[in-house]
Amino acid sequence: MIRTDAGRLSRSTAFALLTACAVAGGVCAQTSDPILLYEGPDREQRLLEGARKEGQVVIYSAMIVNQALRPLLDSFNKKYPGVRASYWRGDSEDIAAKLAAESRARNLGVDVVEGTGVGELVIQGGLVQPFFTPEIKSIPENLRDPRQLWVPTRLSYFSIAYNTRLVPPDRVPKTFEDLLDPQWKGKISWRIGSSSGTPLFITNLRMAWGEDKAMAYFRKLADQKIVNFGSGSARTLVDRVVAGEYPIALNIFAHHPIISAAKGAPVNSQLMNPVATTTATAAIPKGVRRPHAALLLVDFIISKEGQELLSKADYFPVRPDVAPRAELASVVPTKAGVRENLVLPEHLGKYGDSSEKIYQDLFR
Amino acid sequence: MSVEVPRAVAFSAPRPSLFAGLRRLPKGVLVLAFILCVLILPPAFFLFNVSFHVSNPDGTLGALTLKHYSALFTERFFLPSLVNTIVYSLGTAIVALVFGITQALIVERTNAPGREWVFLGAIIALGIPNVLHVVSWLLLLGRAGPVNSALAATMGPEYMIHVYSMWGMIVIEGMNFVPLVFLLMSAVLKSQDASFEEASMMSGGRPLRTFWSISIRMGMPGILALLLLVFIRAFESFEVPALVGLAGNINVLTTNIYQSTRGQGFPRYGEAGAYSVCLLVIVIGLIYLYNRLSRNAHKYQSITGKGYRPRVIDLGPMKWVGTTVLVVTFLLVTGLPIIILVFASLQPFYEGVSAGSFGRWTLENYILLHDAKSFHDAIGNTLIMGAATATAVVPLTALCAWMAARRSPGAWILDQLATAPLVFPAIVMGIAFLYVFVSLPVALYGTLLSVIIASTSRYLPYGMRYAYAGVLQIHRELEDASASSGAGQLMTFFRIVVPLLAPALISGWLFVFLLSVQAVSLPLLLVGPGSEIVAVTLFDLWQNGQVTELAAMGVVWIALMTMVSSIFYYVTRRFQIS
Repeated sequence: MIRTDAGRLSRSTAFALLTACAVAGGVCAQTSDPILLYEGPDREQRLLEGARKEGQVVIYSAMIVNQALRPLLDSFNKKYPGVRASYWRGDSEDIAAKLAAESRARNLGVDVVEGTGVGELVIQGGLVQPFFTPEIKSIPENLRDPRQLWVPTRLSYFSIAYNTRLVPPDRVPKTFEDLLDPQWKGKISWRIGSSSGTPLFITNLRMAWGEDKAMAYFRKLADQKIVNFGSGSARTLVDRVVAGEYPIALNIFAHHPIISAAKGAPVNSQLMNPVATTTATAAIPKGVRRPHAALLLVDFIISKEGQELLSKADYFPVRPDVAPRAELASVVPTKAGVRENLVLPEHLGKYGDSSEKIYQDLFR
Repeated sequence: MSVEVPRAVAFSAPRPSLFAGLRRLPKGVLVLAFILCVLILPPAFFLFNVSFHVSNPDGTLGALTLKHYSALFTERFFLPSLVNTIVYSLGTAIVALVFGITQALIVERTNAPGREWVFLGAIIALGIPNVLHVVSWLLLLGRAGPVNSALAATMGPEYMIHVYSMWGMIVIEGMNFVPLVFLLMSAVLKSQDASFEEASMMSGGRPLRTFWSISIRMGMPGILALLLLVFIRAFESFEVPALVGLAGNINVLTTNIYQSTRGQGFPRYGEAGAYSVCLLVIVIGLIYLYNRLSRNAHKYQSITGKGYRPRVIDLGPMKWVGTTVLVVTFLLVTGLPIIILVFASLQPFYEGVSAGSFGRWTLENYILLHDAKSFHDAIGNTLIMGAATATAVVPLTALCAWMAARRSPGAWILDQLATAPLVFPAIVMGIAFLYVFVSLPVALYGTLLSVIIASTSRYLPYGMRYAYAGVLQIHRELEDASASSGAGQLMTFFRIVVPLLAPALISGWLFVFLLSVQAVSLPLLLVGPGSEIVAVTLFDLWQNGQVTELAAMGVVWIALMTMVSSIFYYVTRRFQIS
């Protein structure tokens, strides 16, 4: 039942599958549907008609459900009553694993995948295909994929979090070099086990500083005996900083401490030059069953309306014409006057493995 | 008299020839073995496959390789991790057994006041999802927790404890297993004849001595099984090593593998698979050893044709000591974790228990939960899933345990099969079943039924241990009487064995129910849009939410599980089932 390799399918099985596909009316055809790259003036009209026939759309997403994903899909359903949108929520790695399984079994249940680490995983796996959306013209050039395999959906800025009771204002580390101060030895933690954890921190500095300078820095940082926070999300790590377990945490989502601080928690974030900025991406799998509805949904997520909904849920919009929540503006690098370094899915794909190796060699 | 008091566990019984047995397998064994294989082979096959192949970047498997195995053993942290794993697993088993067995003895054999409440406490504890259990202990014992605040205030900061250590791991994981040990052990004691204990007391034996030389020894097969169970579970556990151990730089084998494989790109299951395969081999060896040890289990059988209902030992004034022990254990296992969760859930953020924190209370976390539609939608699915899983597991394992304990030819394989899923990591099982269901021509993929099938496989070992402990206590003579009165095997099983086993089976049902509804890693990849379950929602909050929100959801969840368990108990009592 479990094939070790798609290529090992026996000929007769492959033939049977092909026949089945033909009989099923091309349901699992692997050739790209022309509508995906269609740019004609009647695109909207054709999408609406096609989507109505398809009747539904399924997204696998890593967004938080109750504050973001559900309101987003509820609005979509209201706008397109003929298309029922439903979701499955998982982490980027889980989304990629589920898509890979469905894709190999040619039993695709998903039409759109979305998440921060998803893009690089599904592209490496060759599981997605190019598509066009007119909304892309409202998105800055540097956030577009020339291969059209993904569109950005929400931005994340990474900073350090510090406990304001344990780190007095005059001693807050302001630069990466400040983290090397002996007073922080054993008091800094970071999150391992996720591509947005240690590999991102390391990749960011390698991209910004070059290999030599970055490596010299990592060697010194390793002497600080960084605590490897093993399980739980970046949000969990910030909660540990609030509770005073660790005075400082590296590479956390910069807005999380701000949200906690607004409730009175003794925590704050400090942007450091360069800030690692990542984008979550949406992509459409190869062999998608409901291409029209998939496109409608992607259009909607990055439309002004969709981005405003995400902004309300504390995500940072990818469109310049949608403002992030005012309370969170202080961690947007362009607004805070700190240089940002955009780490795109292809960068994580290119640097990820070697950054992970640096972690393994120096910090374990 | 047909019952002997065991002196030592002997090895003298002749070893049945495996192959001779295989040829003459009874039909019942064959049918059961087939059902078990359907449930177990998919994950087992996946595990072997993934452990012997290269993982490609797209998640598919490539060429044959042994590198996952060699990586496992040549890894530079292998030896220290192995030592840590053994210390941790043994420590956990000892902590869990000492607390759990003590509790069970006091509850089942003494007149310590308040003992009837211990069941409720254990069941509430089982309703606490594993992740929350660990979180609550870290809130309690962490740097900012109330324990350290008190220590620092009274004795000075140098006396503060460091929970991110080996003892921290052992205590937290050990406490986690106390309810399991208690429930299994009390199932054993319930059906164990108390007349020997009475005889001991009448001959002047003190309660402690009686417990030690009579109750414990008579329950030995059950205790050994429990030791094995907790040891194996700790050996393959991940949450506590990751949340507690890693932060203190203590690596065990599971976190070692996690660190080597889960940094970047597609999760690679090769090494995890190789580890599970090695563990499987070890477990098969241990079960074989266990079976040899309990070969003379008939010596321990004490439910015979005569009246066997256990009687209670009067502790006299000592009974209050018993109650104190029960209260302390309850506080450690159930009370304190829940108190700290309730406390955290009412705070805008958790910064320890301090004067300041008593000045700020909020219901915001509960309001957020009230608006969480995904939580409400998932409750129905979750209850159906848990009930169906338990209903599938319990009868199946009762039959298997009975056949295995009665040494039907070849029935040993039933025990091996039903215990195997114990060593499959939940996440690997989830992936394995994902591949199975997505490839099936029938539309099972993404349905609740697929989750039920996978959970049934996952929780077989627990049902098995429950039933086995119970069956071991039933003397064969009752069944022989039934057989000689003309009843067939099935008739004997349903008319004689099941009623005698009922208390163990009912507790087993509730137990499997409570475990299966809180599983996260297994159902995560199997559920589809519309078949969500609560634990996955909880996981979402664990990933994205704040600890105070997580605590609020945990409190509501625990309350709900307590309600379900109470209704269950009320109904079974009402109809005199137990």
